[in-house]
Amino acid sequence: MAAAFDATGARGPRLAYVIDPRFAGGTSAAVAAELRVAAGMGRVTVHARRSAMFGADHQVAPALREVLDELGLPLVWDAPEIAAELVILHNPAFLKFQPEFGGRILARHLVVVAHENFLRPGGVEGFDVGACLARIDRASLALRKSIAPVSAHNRATVETWLAANPAALRWDVLDSDWFNICDMAPVPPTDAPRDRRGRHSRPGFEKFPALADLDRCFPPHAEANVILGADMLIAAQVVRPHWTMLPFRSVEVEAYFGMIDFLVYFTAPTWRESFGRVIAEALAAGKVVLTDPDTGAAFGPGVLACTPAEVDAAIARLVADPAAYRAQAARGQAVLAGFSTGEFATRLAALIAGVARGRAA
Amino acid sequence: MILVEAASRSQRAYDAQLIFAAQLAARGHHVAIDAAGLPADLDRGRTYEAAPFLVDPEDLAVTALILLGADEIEDRVLAALRDRALGPEVPVLATGRFADHQAYLGARGKIAYALGREPRVIDLGESQPRPLIARAITPLVAARAPRPRPLGRVPMLTVALGGSALDAPGALARLAQMAGRATFGFQLIANAGQKDLIKASRYHDLPVVTFTELSPVTLAAGTDVFAVYGQGVPGERMAALATCLMAAGGVVIDCTEDRAFLSQGAPVLRGPEDPAALEPYLTDAVFVNLAQIGAQMAASPWVAAADIARLETAAGLAPPPAAPMLAPAAPTRPRRTLFLPTNGVGLGHAQRCTVIADALPEGETAAFAAFPSCVPMIQRRGYDCLPLVQKSEAHPEPYANDVLTYLRLGRTLAPGDRLVFDGGYVFDSIFRTVLERDLPAVWIRRGLWPQGSSSDIALDRERIFARVIVPTEAFPELNDAYGVGPRIHPVGPVLRMGQRADADRAGLRERLADRFARPFDRLVISMLGGGVASDRTAQLQAIAGMLAPRPDVLHLVVVWPGANVPSGLYAWPNTRVVQTFEALSLCLAADLVISAAGYNSVHEILYHRIPAVLIPQSAPYLDDQTRRAQALAERGLAEMIEEADLMRLDRVLADCLDGGAAERFRTALAAVDLPAPGAGQAARLIAETGGDA
Repeated sequence: MAAAFDATGARGPRLAYVIDPRFAGGTSAAVAAELRVAAGMGRVTVHARRSAMFGADHQVAPALREVLDELGLPLVWDAPEIAAELVILHNPAFLKFQPEFGGRILARHLVVVAHENFLRPGGVEGFDVGACLARIDRASLALRKSIAPVSAHNRATVETWLAANPAALRWDVLDSDWFNICDMAPVPPTDAPRDRRGRHSRPGFEKFPALADLDRCFPPHAEANVILGADMLIAAQVVRPHWTMLPFRSVEVEAYFGMIDFLVYFTAPTWRESFGRVIAEALAAGKVVLTDPDTGAAFGPGVLACTPAEVDAAIARLVADPAAYRAQAARGQAVLAGFSTGEFATRLAALIAGVARGRAA
Repeated sequence: MILVEAASRSQRAYDAQLIFAAQLAARGHHVAIDAAGLPADLDRGRTYEAAPFLVDPEDLAVTALILLGADEIEDRVLAALRDRALGPEVPVLATGRFADHQAYLGARGKIAYALGREPRVIDLGESQPRPLIARAITPLVAARAPRPRPLGRVPMLTVALGGSALDAPGALARLAQMAGRATFGFQLIANAGQKDLIKASRYHDLPVVTFTELSPVTLAAGTDVFAVYGQGVPGERMAALATCLMAAGGVVIDCTEDRAFLSQGAPVLRGPEDPAALEPYLTDAVFVNLAQIGAQMAASPWVAAADIARLETAAGLAPPPAAPMLAPAAPTRPRRTLFLPTNGVGLGHAQRCTVIADALPEGETAAFAAFPSCVPMIQRRGYDCLPLVQKSEAHPEPYANDVLTYLRLGRTLAPGDRLVFDGGYVFDSIFRTVLERDLPAVWIRRGLWPQGSSSDIALDRERIFARVIVPTEAFPELNDAYGVGPRIHPVGPVLRMGQRADADRAGLRERLADRFARPFDRLVISMLGGGVASDRTAQLQAIAGMLAPRPDVLHLVVVWPGANVPSGLYAWPNTRVVQTFEALSLCLAADLVISAAGYNSVHEILYHRIPAVLIPQSAPYLDDQTRRAQALAERGLAEMIEEADLMRLDRVLADCLDGGAAERFRTALAAVDLPAPGAGQAARLIAETGGDA
């Protein structure tokens, strides 16, 4: 244990990232973005775990691979021991299909970044949280073990779950959200908004509301209704001549944003985004986002919170009032400032400082 | 209606749907399976099993949905679930055997996403920690309703064979020995290969069904003791059978090599692995204590954990009505006897049934289900008739029409009704309906079959009938004995009796002369049959040609209404075609009848003493008309002409019309001693069959 933490402060603390690098979506993108920040604050090691969730191969999400190459960081696969002052494990749900973590973690501070909501709307567990945390707990020796929520909604699910599971009280919750860094270059909103609507997501059932709600969100009278990631609707042979249904990743996101002025994003009512990267991307692209209040909570006034039944009126109002449209888009981009690299760096620095204080003590 | 779905698409999953649907239906629930999910390659047995539950998607009015096997849920099933757009008032229950909490949460989440709300998910592993099949999709639950044992006069034993059960020398002989015991009933469940082997052997009359031929619910309902051989529990269907039986107070005997039932803690008896030892074990240890053993099984905690009521409650289903039915029950009405005659070559079966129905005692109500060609005749005789669908090459499956028959019978028959079947081959629809509804059933079966596999199958199915009424032939050498036993009742020939008053005869001949504007001295009737059996055009043309030079003869070709008539017959000067259900009246007025040698025509000719020339049909699936015709010819009661022997026909006709042959026949017929007709006796036997017997 002593040897593991015998690094000199001059070269910065040792930071270990633990992730299954094969997550294709927001988790890998978020880790990629924060590695750029973390690399300037300490000696970073990235530990890849091949979890049962993704099988045995060694693929790495492209966004993560790009950053690792850029920073010259090696990816250490399935190390039997991970030791650092600060160990950051992203998305504990990757352990949900296996009985053990499969190694040891030695840390002063172990932070588990939640990424996924612990509870679904209605209070049902999103995954076997207790088992995943227990696997990490059993595998780790740390002075402090924390859970880092990624948004206010995510925090609420974490705290509610912890309150209902006293056996997990050894885990504390970080005060600040471990948000996704949203440093996309902002695009100015259009001066002449049109009733061009769209949504994009992975094609999972959880990402889509009931068909009746989709019909409300994307009516025949809209100039355009573009659904990117519509694989499920296509497979189900849903016929809506006024919809442009595109398979997931069939067009570049930039091209897709060129086809719409409004992101109308609702999910299954039994599921919630934990952060909502899809919303952040749309805001950065200068679009106005309409979504349900819970999903939009992380973005505050940056999105228009509404129900599917209220979408039409809201869009009509903004199409008729381009200035209001631009103002709303601007509010969205202003909110994104709160998810900047700089803001994240400040929070990470504070965390590292806390670890250092603990070491000095 | 309760929609029963499976979370995956496979034969095993579809079996689970069928089994659970049958269980719910037996509890009195209105159950549906989405017809859109019907597998394209469904086998025959499962097709019948599914048919009562299939509802087209647009006709589904779902009041509850039960999703089976949620531990392995497929995206296409989720997509279908999402498309259903069920309202919030429709309870959704999913069952599964989840490996761990994550599997449970994962499945629950997937369903919730597709549904847009939370389902109720039951982990069957909690209530059944040791199910008979580890990952069974079938819930393996049952209605806990012990019944008095044995169910009938003697205990019913059902034996499920292991895969190598027939490999041992003498195995079939031992089974046949058990099947022959009068102290218990016996049936085998075997795989298709084993059944084929049995049917091809000298033991072909062993009662055997395949694992998929009948629903496990039906098999359990007719079984007291279920003995299982082989390695492991032989699939979910047999596991369901065992569970249903135990919950109903029946006895399961584990004769498997690995003690598959016992190892799961099921309250079963340990039986001998050697089938040769089964019978003494049953006799000495089981049958004598049947009721007590069954009661213990039914009361065991293992069976309590498999109570179907738990799932019903979880699914929010209303308590089932008291009277279980496979399909919506027919309206309450007095019991009736439903006659189902096949149509065979002509309308003989239907006609015979109407004769027997006419003879039913006062207070008995008769109705019919029959193929279209028979319906007008039956209705004309004063009976309601449910039309059935004729077999057709246009149907996708050769048994498609019989599936419809099965459905229609199910919707028509009410508890307590009797079913009387008249035909040679017991259709699957009859076989299943009688067993599933535990109907008192009677088989009117004539003999004189050519040897062949269809007769073997028919006899195998004899066991479902409480009584077999065998209308005998008039002459003893024609009465082949295809079986003996307490259920088989030979009766005298069943035929329609007409009145032969000379005044009536003369009046009819006058009316015929007027009707056809052709005075005649002699009336010749030809009724050679035909139908699907054989084309009689050549014979009819020959007869018409032979009679054409005789201006004093009126030749009537008599066929059933709707029968195909060769157009060439209309060209002859003294031949006319008559489509009628009253052929007997015409024959009574005739000087000579030229007839096929079917049972009805021959006996009507005999009993009404009508001079006749018989031209037997020889299609391979008919009864043996040649033997019947020969019997008459050898006694000098009629002349017989082979189908192709038209040259001789000319001479015989001349002898009948110009010589003394007709008179000779008439004299011989007047002197022949015939057994008493049997319609009245048949009707009494039917009336005695069933609850009031």
